[in-house]
Amino acid sequence: MLKNRSTLISVAVIALLLFILPAFTHRYYISLLSEMFIFGLFAISYNLLLGYGGLLSFGHAMFFGIGSYATAIFITQIDGLSLISAVFLSLIVTIIAGLIVGSLLLRHKGTPFALLTLAFNALFFAIAMKWYTITGGDDGLSIFRPPINLGVTSVDTSGITFFYYLALIVIGLVVLFCWFFTKTAMGKTVVLMRENEERMRFLGYNTNISRLILFIFTGALAGLAGSFYTLFYEFTSISSISLDMSTSVILMVIIGGSRYFAGPLIGACVYIYLQDYLSDITDRWPLVMGLIFIFMILYVPKGISGLGDFIIDKIRQRRTPDDNDSSPCVEEN
Amino acid sequence: MLDVNQIKKNFSGLEVLKEVTFKVAYRENHAIIGPNGAGKTTLFNIISGKFRPTSGRVTFKDKDITREPPHIRNRMNLSRSFQITNVFQELSVFDNVIAGVRCHHGMRYNFFKSPTSNKEICDKTRAIIEEVGLEKVTDTTARELSYGQQRALEIGVTLSTEPEMILLDEPTAGMTREETAEAIELIQKVTVDKSLLIIEHDMDVVFTLADTISVLHYGTILASDTPDKIRNDQRVKDAYLGEEE
Amino acid sequence: MTDLAVFFLHGLVYAGLLFLISSGLTMVFGMMNVLNLAHASFYMLGAYLSYSFLQWTGNFYLSLIVCPIILFVIGSLIQKFLLVKAHKYGHVHELLVTFGVAYVITELVKWIWGNFPLGVNLDGFLTESITLFGLPYPIYRLFMLGCAVLVCLIMAFLLYKTRLGIIVRAAVDDHGMVNALGINVPLVFMSIFGLGAGLSGFAGVIAGPLLTTYPGMAAEILVDAFVVIVIGGMGSLGGALVASLMIGELQSFGALFFPKLSLALMYLLMAIVLVVKPSGLFGEDL
Repeated sequence: MLKNRSTLISVAVIALLLFILPAFTHRYYISLLSEMFIFGLFAISYNLLLGYGGLLSFGHAMFFGIGSYATAIFITQIDGLSLISAVFLSLIVTIIAGLIVGSLLLRHKGTPFALLTLAFNALFFAIAMKWYTITGGDDGLSIFRPPINLGVTSVDTSGITFFYYLALIVIGLVVLFCWFFTKTAMGKTVVLMRENEERMRFLGYNTNISRLILFIFTGALAGLAGSFYTLFYEFTSISSISLDMSTSVILMVIIGGSRYFAGPLIGACVYIYLQDYLSDITDRWPLVMGLIFIFMILYVPKGISGLGDFIIDKIRQRRTPDDNDSSPCVEEN
Repeated sequence: MLDVNQIKKNFSGLEVLKEVTFKVAYRENHAIIGPNGAGKTTLFNIISGKFRPTSGRVTFKDKDITREPPHIRNRMNLSRSFQITNVFQELSVFDNVIAGVRCHHGMRYNFFKSPTSNKEICDKTRAIIEEVGLEKVTDTTARELSYGQQRALEIGVTLSTEPEMILLDEPTAGMTREETAEAIELIQKVTVDKSLLIIEHDMDVVFTLADTISVLHYGTILASDTPDKIRNDQRVKDAYLGEEE
Repeated sequence: MTDLAVFFLHGLVYAGLLFLISSGLTMVFGMMNVLNLAHASFYMLGAYLSYSFLQWTGNFYLSLIVCPIILFVIGSLIQKFLLVKAHKYGHVHELLVTFGVAYVITELVKWIWGNFPLGVNLDGFLTESITLFGLPYPIYRLFMLGCAVLVCLIMAFLLYKTRLGIIVRAAVDDHGMVNALGINVPLVFMSIFGLGAGLSGFAGVIAGPLLTTYPGMAAEILVDAFVVIVIGGMGSLGGALVASLMIGELQSFGALFFPKLSLALMYLLMAIVLVVKPSGLFGEDL
């Protein structure tokens, strides 16, 4: 009870701060925050797959990239397309992609599943590269951020501050829905899959369907983040659908922590901030990121979000020297 | 209710089940006994859907389920327990049991409702937890339960989908005398209105519970009869019971 | 006709390289059920270490011996200190650790040697060509093939004719059982992982002068290695051998017919095999 109250209050405070921030800060930071929102959503979507569902994918950027490209392509190909329609259409494309890829991945788990996600990501990357006429290949696609068509008026979306609020509200609501999702029946089903998929089957669950639904859902969320990515930069390129992008989101989620809902958000913010801050100092900031990653995996498996638990456990271990392994994960077969 | 017909199972050349045929009647308590390695768990795995037989047929409630996946069999109200406790270790007792209850109620993929918001589901879950005697540890993580409690939870989870027939795989394995007695009482209580197929090594349990005993001896059913007849069957004595005494 | 023979030979050379890398990868998977994503990174490190070693001593033959040993040590240490710890958190964690190691090694290489290709120059008879089928054929490629075959034979001997080999094969087949037999399984695991790293490193040393030594070389050959073990069957050495030959020739002739699409084709091939028959040619049903 107490925990819920304090969580609610802190979330409300943060939300309030985010709302009034643009009045006090420089455009540069507003931009940075917008970026954090986008990648925060991307990371949350990945963690629903990894942390909640126990499915390790090395190709989640395929959905981010599909959403990103779809938005760019719809905007360039369809004249006068409004922002909302572009995002909505991209979502449909991403869902279809999730359905196709997910159906092929249905029966596989563990290592074969991971390799397959890698393969599909690479295939989509190749398509984006080769299909120059539609995707712009190596050059990428530039767009002008379309207005929001409200029937009687159309709202200009080109301002940095405007986009900030758009991202804050839309992504904020989506993230809220994701949090709510983890408490629903499907959210719990996903956790059952992580914990003991075999027993689930003997309890009447069709685990293939469960997995497919999760895959499509998280893919759609990633695609939405990708749409916003295109809208934010007014540009997309093959890097949005690259294996590097998949790598980045994995780093974000692990550094932030996959065992708590807010972990990926923290991870995304840390990653983007460090990328921004460290890249001025050294060209080799990815090395630092990688070392933090390995450190987190081995010593703080719950990531930054789990640091509280980590510290409490360490204190507890000092007091009672028993061999209690506080490993958060379940061993798989 | 359950009709097992000439089941044969090979594992890469090793013939584990040669020709298994027997029936379990409606609301019957049917025990399978036999030496270790006779293929009892394999038989369970075939009946519950984990493996497919090399040949033969399994019929449940007049429907051929030989090739059906486990989740379909469960939805037909055939549920099994596992010899090695196979629950959701990191979840609480409540969450373990509610998993099956809500699946049975169709609340599997709902994106908008929480399982605990449904009163019927919650009530049924608590009822089952009470039935297996775990009310006091409802919110304890499964991993932290004692061995006997874990076995009770195993049965609770098996019951959560409101089966008409239960398969129990050595439910009293590793239990003390007292725990076994409690387990027998529990099993009798919960199977009053269900069919039971149980694998057991403990002869006391078998002779207390069973209406019918089938003896599985190296891949075939040696005999399938009432406990008295089995006790006095010479072949059974030679092959199995004789060695026990 | 002679052109085809040349391509065929090219394919064999590449197959040899692939086998050196994928054999370790598949054995480690069979034994510890971990797909080491950093395996090709060891290959890359071997090439880079050899480059520096050559800069320092100029002795290629010495490099052939020293660098793989260094990689053996590095591999063993990684297994002992990183993998073992990750193991108790589960399968996903192990994969992620190898992923992290691969990432860090690539960044380290960029940091120490720079983010551009390096040229490895040899001298002596290895840079010459001999006439084969009427065409000049680089001796170095034959040398590579020879090294691969030699290592292959040594491995076969060790695995099938020595007691250590029996233990290793048993561990690949059923590590639980081997543990129960009282053999020091952690030591075996560490050694085999290290050995795999050493083999990979060796492949890197001999590949350096031929293929470009650059930070992307790990990722480039990793895909091919994955395809090899997926087709051959994860855990099967014989499968890795057969698949290496297949992929080696495929890459060689593929470069002739589909030069640009090669990478995507490899991924496509891997996806098809995984979807249709995940156990590959010789592997167990996963």
